[in-house]
Amino acid sequence: MSEPVSGKQRGATRTRVQRGVISILWALAGVVLVVLMWEAVKFLGSFIELPINTSDTSMPHVWTMVDAFSNPVVRGSDTTVLQAVVSATLTSLKIALGGFTIGVTFGIVLAVIMQRFAFFERGLLPFVIASQTVPLIALAPLIVGLGNRISFGPIEWTTTYSVMFIAAYLAFFPLSVGALRGLQAPSATSLELMRSYAARPNQMLWKLRFPSSVPYLVPALKVSAAAAVVGTVVAEISTGVKGGVGRLLIEYARETTSQPAKVYVAVFGAIALGLAAAALVSALDLYLTRNLPKESQA
Amino acid sequence: MSSVQTSHQAVDVQGLWKIFNEGSNNEVTALSDINLSVKPGEFISLIGPSGCGKSTLLRVIGDLTGATRGEVFIAGETAPVAREKQLYGIAFQQAALFDWRTVRRNVELPLELQGLGKKERRERALELLELVQLSDFAEHRPWELSGGMQQRVAIARSLAVDPPLLLMDEPFGALDEMTRERMQNELLRICQETGKTIIFVTHSIPEAVYLSDRVIVMSPRPGRITHTVPIELGERNEDTRETDTFYAGVTAVREALRGRSASASPPRIEEL
Ligand SMILES: Nc1ncnc2c1ncn2[C@@H]1O[C@H](COP(=O)(O)OP(=O)(O)OP(=O)(O)O)[C@@H](O)[C@H]1O
Ligand SMILES: [Mg+2]
Repeated sequence: MSEPVSGKQRGATRTRVQRGVISILWALAGVVLVVLMWEAVKFLGSFIELPINTSDTSMPHVWTMVDAFSNPVVRGSDTTVLQAVVSATLTSLKIALGGFTIGVTFGIVLAVIMQRFAFFERGLLPFVIASQTVPLIALAPLIVGLGNRISFGPIEWTTTYSVMFIAAYLAFFPLSVGALRGLQAPSATSLELMRSYAARPNQMLWKLRFPSSVPYLVPALKVSAAAAVVGTVVAEISTGVKGGVGRLLIEYARETTSQPAKVYVAVFGAIALGLAAAALVSALDLYLTRNLPKESQA
Repeated sequence: MSSVQTSHQAVDVQGLWKIFNEGSNNEVTALSDINLSVKPGEFISLIGPSGCGKSTLLRVIGDLTGATRGEVFIAGETAPVAREKQLYGIAFQQAALFDWRTVRRNVELPLELQGLGKKERRERALELLELVQLSDFAEHRPWELSGGMQQRVAIARSLAVDPPLLLMDEPFGALDEMTRERMQNELLRICQETGKTIIFVTHSIPEAVYLSDRVIVMSPRPGRITHTVPIELGERNEDTRETDTFYAGVTAVREALRGRSASASPPRIEEL
């Protein structure tokens, strides 16, 4: 009989940490590579004709970008570009997080309903899928228009909520489809086992279906988080809502002639937003899969 | 057999039919007119070629699927009531342990579903893990255990609510011969210690003979009981598998599985 080695679990944890360090190193190497390529293209462009414009206005030097971090937002202002971008990124992060949470909650609720009642799966799933063919981003201004006419008593519907709604809408779909597959994942044997214990429907859900859905839920959460972030930034741009990094992107893009590096600071903000979302989901992943065999980790 | 329910049998199956997809053109008669009574404390095995309805019979007894016709009683209760009252425990060919729970918490699962307190179910689980000799692995995850160990956890789990009846569907099917024989002895020991009634599905003739008080031989299309072979080996020990009685039992079951005609069967087999 093969007895499990007691050090096995510790070994697995160590490789996990090692893997983490290695992936961070790779990410850093990637950044260095991008910087080098950027400067290489610029350098090449000063000798030969390239299909892209490599002038300092279109492709500022990396150090100019770094320099731009500490420039004042407008001449004479105390706030630096970096501060403005950080605060805008945090605002967008809140909106994306709100949208993500709403989308995930709604997606899971919908998946549970669809799983529980075959009737709803047949009835709802086509609508869930069809919902994704509506180009909501394109309709963003319309949503804002509609939203402005909504009021929930003391709570006033602001454009920010419209952006959050769009993010939620985009996040919900991958989640509900993934969660539904996950809830349907338990083997026939597991289901019969629970039935033999006379498990109630809610016990079936909490003790079997939710835990079994984790391997499906984790990738769905990743897609949803990405959708929420992209949805937030794009919706910010298309609705023109103030405060977020999306708005900064268009504002700074208009200033390229005078301050070409400025817009890149906003781009870094948008990247940071994506990384924050990825980090959040990775944390969720680690938490949700803490009890599962390492192979089943997505 | 009397059709009057006396409520003293551990299991009583009367005129049971199970027809899948009845009325459609892929209709399958999985069980036809099954009659079976099992006494409390009796160990019976179901044996027969693949597809003869052994699993289906077990699942109908456990109310995991409904009967098309006929009746099933466990300790005098109808199958659905018996399931609600947790009058049986079940173990399948796959251990079907939940990966996200520790070994101990897998064994606790049925007790948890019944709402037993944390402390009580913990104690009970540890007691059962001791019974299957896995105390050292209580806090391990199922996937850290070998197949045989997992199967023992599944057996411990099926004993959790202390049901009078165990339904076992090829629980040792995936094990090597050595592990299997050891598990058989462990199962017999558990039975002796707990006095359970067992219905055991297997493909192995020696296994059926070694374990059982009675071997039920089934045949397919439609699934039915063809023979019942009583086994009288007395107390099992290391030499049991070498005795003439054991070989005679094996031969009798083999003949019953092969021969469908009455003449092919030795006289000690009861024809049905
Ligand atoms: N859910 C189902 N729907 C339709 N037919 C089924 C279903 N379950 C079983 N059957 C049919 O019932 C018959 C008996 O199946 P069962 O699983 O009980 O056989 P078995 O004796 O356990 O076989 P094995 O030894 O291979 O496990 C088979 O012909 C099978 O195709
Ligand atoms: Mg079977």
